[in-house]
Amino acid sequence: MAPPSRRRWRQPLRIALALAVIAGLAGAGFAALGAYNIAASTGHWAITERLLRFGLWRSVAVRAPDEAPIPLKDSDLIRLGAGHFEQGCATCHGAPGRTADPVTRTMLPTPPPLHREMLEWSDGELFFIVRHGIKYTGMPAWPVEDRDDEVWSVVAFLRALPDLTPDQYATLAGSRGRQPQGLERDADAPLSACAACHGDGAEAPSSRLVPRLQGQSESVLRTALDDYADGRRASGIMRLAAAPLTAQDRAALARHYAALAPLPPAPADEALVQTGARLATQGDRESRVPACLSCHGPAARPDFPRLEGQNARYLAQRLRLWHEAPADADTSAWAQVMAPIARRLNADQIDALAAYFSAQDPRPRTAASGTSGETAP
Amino acid sequence: MTFARVRSVPLPMAPPGALALGFVLSGCAGPQSMLAPAGAEATDVFHLSLVLFAGAGLILAWVVVTLALALFGPPGVRAVLSSRRAVLVAGLGVPLVVLTLLLVVGLMMMRERTLWPEDGPRIAVVGEQWWWRVTYLAPDGQRIAGANEIRIPVGETVTLALDASDVIHSFWVPSLGGKRDMVPGRTNHLRIRAEREGRYRGQCAEYCGGAHAFMALEIIAMAPDAYRAWLMAAAEPPAPPSEALAIEGQKYFLSTGCGACHAISGTPATGLIGPDLTRVGARRQIGSAMLDTSPETLARFIADAPAHKPGTLMPAFPMLAREEIDAMAAYLWSLR
Repeated sequence: MAPPSRRRWRQPLRIALALAVIAGLAGAGFAALGAYNIAASTGHWAITERLLRFGLWRSVAVRAPDEAPIPLKDSDLIRLGAGHFEQGCATCHGAPGRTADPVTRTMLPTPPPLHREMLEWSDGELFFIVRHGIKYTGMPAWPVEDRDDEVWSVVAFLRALPDLTPDQYATLAGSRGRQPQGLERDADAPLSACAACHGDGAEAPSSRLVPRLQGQSESVLRTALDDYADGRRASGIMRLAAAPLTAQDRAALARHYAALAPLPPAPADEALVQTGARLATQGDRESRVPACLSCHGPAARPDFPRLEGQNARYLAQRLRLWHEAPADADTSAWAQVMAPIARRLNADQIDALAAYFSAQDPRPRTAASGTSGETAP
Repeated sequence: MTFARVRSVPLPMAPPGALALGFVLSGCAGPQSMLAPAGAEATDVFHLSLVLFAGAGLILAWVVVTLALALFGPPGVRAVLSSRRAVLVAGLGVPLVVLTLLLVVGLMMMRERTLWPEDGPRIAVVGEQWWWRVTYLAPDGQRIAGANEIRIPVGETVTLALDASDVIHSFWVPSLGGKRDMVPGRTNHLRIRAEREGRYRGQCAEYCGGAHAFMALEIIAMAPDAYRAWLMAAAEPPAPPSEALAIEGQKYFLSTGCGACHAISGTPATGLIGPDLTRVGARRQIGSAMLDTSPETLARFIADAPAHKPGTLMPAFPMLAREEIDAMAAYLWSLR
């Protein structure tokens, strides 16, 4: 005999179980009969809408990080995010001076235009939404893992977005006035998308977090595009850019950028350059770091990337990603060689190497002197 | 694997006793066995082991007999065994005498080794994760780099200066001598003297990280004249490659950046992070005695070293074409 206190619970428990079974069956029947109208065109009841929005807000607020790990008022970061926003977000969310694609207005929920009120989300909440997307809406997650740095660049841009005039936006996102040299034919259309971030032939990328492509060999560029497109190399920004391209497009792009003349280097801190030079030429036996120039020097194979004159911030970021990322984050052939080396570099060495390579002149000696002759009055 | 094969054949016919003996004896042969001594110290260790095994066997027998008597013996014997005097003599006195004798014998053996004439070469060996950096110190002061293989002259006392670069390793070639730890920042010395020509295998004997089990080496004891001829030849840069494929391979070797970590004397490759490859084609094994050297194994190791040696600093090179790897392997194979 069970004690009376336990017996008292039995009756309500049975009723609750029976109700749960009935509710489950009713739900299954409701779905099986097709009674629910799934059509986006019918919208939600006002109460459903409010409940969904409340749930969305709470779910994001609970899961979002408290604050950004890096300063977001960073023009390189904002420009990087702007380029991606133009390629990946503006279609649905619109942009300053431009409404969203009318087709997206019939989505349920409708992708919100990102005006000031919308941006009452905190930095962390925006990060969560861009990084993970939102279920049952059209908002996708970030296309790759382990690239939170890219997600933060979009957040940095979203923070700057409400204050932008259409003109400023177009300049920032590279959606205007950056048609690459010698491009008129339709077949070259993908190039204008590349030029938005990487610049056309004559200028450097607008963000120093974006690599300069001038001076790289065709095979380096082709490998990078293929690695990005196939997801071996992790970048949400470049995956969006490279994946839709056909193999011919990628080959043509690699050819185009490989033919461009290298740009003059940017100035860098002299002390850092000195430290970096030592590491690049001799390596560091103590920490088992080989000399960078054995593979990236002037006599290196054409299918190894050239680092002279590359943006320092891009180089440092690239090394840091390899330094921190889990071993399986980047499965490209390059990463198998570079990630173990980058893991043995410390933060100071990374900065020094980035400064050193960014300060080297990638232009052939004769061409460099020729250019200075032309610019002289 | 080897055991399984050996056992599967004789099992139906061989009596269990013979089988057990077979197992024991199979451990005696081979290039890495302290029961097959080929060096002066190893012989001493072997003899000492025999004495110890025999002595331990006698003591065990004596203890068992005494125990049996104490349990089942006649009352007179049991009374003697349970006396205070018996416990003092057999439990304290006998071990004291036996252990003192062993200590004296051991000290004498160790002393004898310090009296060996210092007539042989001096070789520095540095333990690294997970390979052996070898440097021959020639009489004229020249340093000749090698790796994972040590050549010594027979009958001469070779002084090994043992050091480590990262963690503690331990140098042990059982057929030639005892273990000696390799401690970072400290040089320990080990003297070995091989009594007959041959190849003797060694193994790191102090757990040193993931690939510890794959950190082996080979000592090749040669006739003194042959050793000196070999050392003189090794002091010179190897002949440049003559075969077309090897010439191509040298070009790839240098342009691919292999020289950042590996040195080949007489070429711009001067890296010191990984093993010296000046005469890698002449070494019997690569990957610190993991794979027998051949163009095929060299190519496999270049293409994907971590697959053969987990945890190695050497990365895989998936971007290299098959032909490039084969050419590099041909070049390394030509280095003798």
